[in-house]
Amino acid sequence: MSGAHAGAQAPFKDRATAALADKTLKIAIDRTTGNAERKRAAAVAAFPEFEAARARGKAIKDHVIAHLDHYLEQFERNATASGAKVHWAVDDAGARAIVTRICLEAKAKLVTRSKSMLGEEIGLPHALADAGIERVETDLAEHIIQLAGEKPSHIVWPAMHRTREQVAELFKTGHRPPPAAEDPATMVQSARRELRTKFLSADIGISGANFLVADTGATCTVTNEGNAELTTTPPRIHIVTAGIEKIVPSTVHAFALLRLLVRSATGGELTQYTTFHCGPKRPGDADGPEEMHIVLVDNGRTRMLADEFREMLRCIRCGACMNHCVVYRQIGGHAYGGTYPGPMGSVLTPVLDGLAGSRDLPNACTMNGRCAEVCPVGIPLPTLLRAWRIRSWREKLEPGALRVGISLWAMLAKRPALYRLASRTGVRAIRMFGKAGWISRLPLAGGWTAHRDMPRPKGRTFMEQYRAEQAKKGGRP
Amino acid sequence: MTARDRILDAIRVALPQERPAPDAISAEAKALLADPDTSRPRLVAEGLFDAFILKAESIGTTIDRVGGMEAVPDAVRRYLSGHGLSLSLAVEPTPALTALDWTGLDTGTTLAPDQPAALGKALWGIAESGSLIVHSGADTPILLSFLPLHHIVVLQESDILSHLEDYAAQLADRPHPRNAILITGPSGTTDIEGSYVRGAHGPGFLHVILVASTD
Repeated sequence: MSGAHAGAQAPFKDRATAALADKTLKIAIDRTTGNAERKRAAAVAAFPEFEAARARGKAIKDHVIAHLDHYLEQFERNATASGAKVHWAVDDAGARAIVTRICLEAKAKLVTRSKSMLGEEIGLPHALADAGIERVETDLAEHIIQLAGEKPSHIVWPAMHRTREQVAELFKTGHRPPPAAEDPATMVQSARRELRTKFLSADIGISGANFLVADTGATCTVTNEGNAELTTTPPRIHIVTAGIEKIVPSTVHAFALLRLLVRSATGGELTQYTTFHCGPKRPGDADGPEEMHIVLVDNGRTRMLADEFREMLRCIRCGACMNHCVVYRQIGGHAYGGTYPGPMGSVLTPVLDGLAGSRDLPNACTMNGRCAEVCPVGIPLPTLLRAWRIRSWREKLEPGALRVGISLWAMLAKRPALYRLASRTGVRAIRMFGKAGWISRLPLAGGWTAHRDMPRPKGRTFMEQYRAEQAKKGGRP
Repeated sequence: MTARDRILDAIRVALPQERPAPDAISAEAKALLADPDTSRPRLVAEGLFDAFILKAESIGTTIDRVGGMEAVPDAVRRYLSGHGLSLSLAVEPTPALTALDWTGLDTGTTLAPDQPAALGKALWGIAESGSLIVHSGADTPILLSFLPLHHIVVLQESDILSHLEDYAAQLADRPHPRNAILITGPSGTTDIEGSYVRGAHGPGFLHVILVASTD
């Protein structure tokens, strides 16, 4: 169970209902995901080799996963040789303890952090606060949600749920002096000014890693803002927290995946800054930290390796699945309740937070398959979501009424004659609730008819019509 | 049992008992990179030089071409004047730059808080993406590439490589620096409503002085 989300939350359905009623949220989501979808499509169209690149990316990740122990040990050897200290954490609590201990031993007062979803996953923000350490988020979106006291709502654009007007309100009280105007350019300038002194006076900089390069021991970050390098260079200590699945054999393998990652995430080709961090400052170097620590975090990943969710370890955290998800685009990221939202989050949250509390997530999916279509490493997300549904059924986590209903349906579905009789009766019964072509209210289906009308059945079932047609043609039904 | 042992044990339990030798794993990893042309972007122009310029300009980098290193100070002066900036900048203490004649320009090796520009030298350019490569070192403070609003970078035409793989080969050929950085356009963000704003934390302007090869 993740300590990051141990706090009590309203049930998923209530969160989703509240999100659906929030008109401003819908506007904010549409602005960012719409842009992301268009830009990704253009980037893929401009790269005819994308399919081949995707097949290669998938093969690279599968190879690494099949030899994960080999590559982790190789990475550890090379990172250690570069002067970094490698730590291992079985779970989120272990990872928090390691990072907090390093901060406390260094008597750190101010820590800057470059966006890392793994950091969110292990609950690092709270851990630092509990240890009495000032934490400054340096990614612009993370800065926005830190001012708002919120969690990320997207893995690439954590503040995408906020409109520019809402950001202006936050900066007005959070920046000294406040920004002179409310347009994005002026607000970005204000954040640049506000954070500059923090970068230069921090005791420790914490980053994540997009890749861990086994044959060099380097960790790789990608950003568009340049905040990662400003976070990791001036302080005395650089700490990296990374999931063990981030490993790649070499820099070239990282490049093959980068081409997929950036196009799928933002529609760019490369982010403005792609940086390989290899150990602390070398003797004679003009700048850089004296110490580098790398915390390798398992937190459920070896469990995924052992079961039907192994393919999820290929995920490179691009966010394309959520940008293209009809459910995400209606409710946004916060309604999901976990660290990771959208389709990939609905697969990961049950791993991290337990299925009992998150069984609604794999169900909140239309199975339209868009996520799998756009996934740059070919993760069969709908199949994995279905696997959680199956497990939820086996573990008897569904509410009683649902279990009875589905058992009843299964009983009918296995008996064709009975099924046809039931559907013939049902269709005729449903017809009684609608006069013209549509039904606006139907007992037991209020969840559907509250938001839209249901088409009134034509009066006969498919099988009845099929038989009639076949009989007309003179063929055998 | 340490956390390390618990993680590695859990991995070994999950993976098949029969495992290939390290050499076989390396060979498999290498085979995954065969025929790179089938899965990487083609250059946007015939030659490396033209492709680099097209790509770099498409992502907001500006480019000035000069005939030799001795023409760099003039190009810098031109750039600063063109942007209405004072003729004052930080110059990376790399011999190729410090050896130049900086008469008439106020240069130092560190960036003052109010100084808007810094000059550095890229080790390579990449035609595929319009990227510039900077490695940390005694002569190359990383912060000079990130603190100024205007980042001016000298690149020799002969140092333009074709693809990312060509750079990886160069990197593998020398001791890995603390930081190996690919700079691909000026700093930017789309974090407020997805609208693009330049100059988020790093430089809002990236200007390349492309130096013709003398040999």
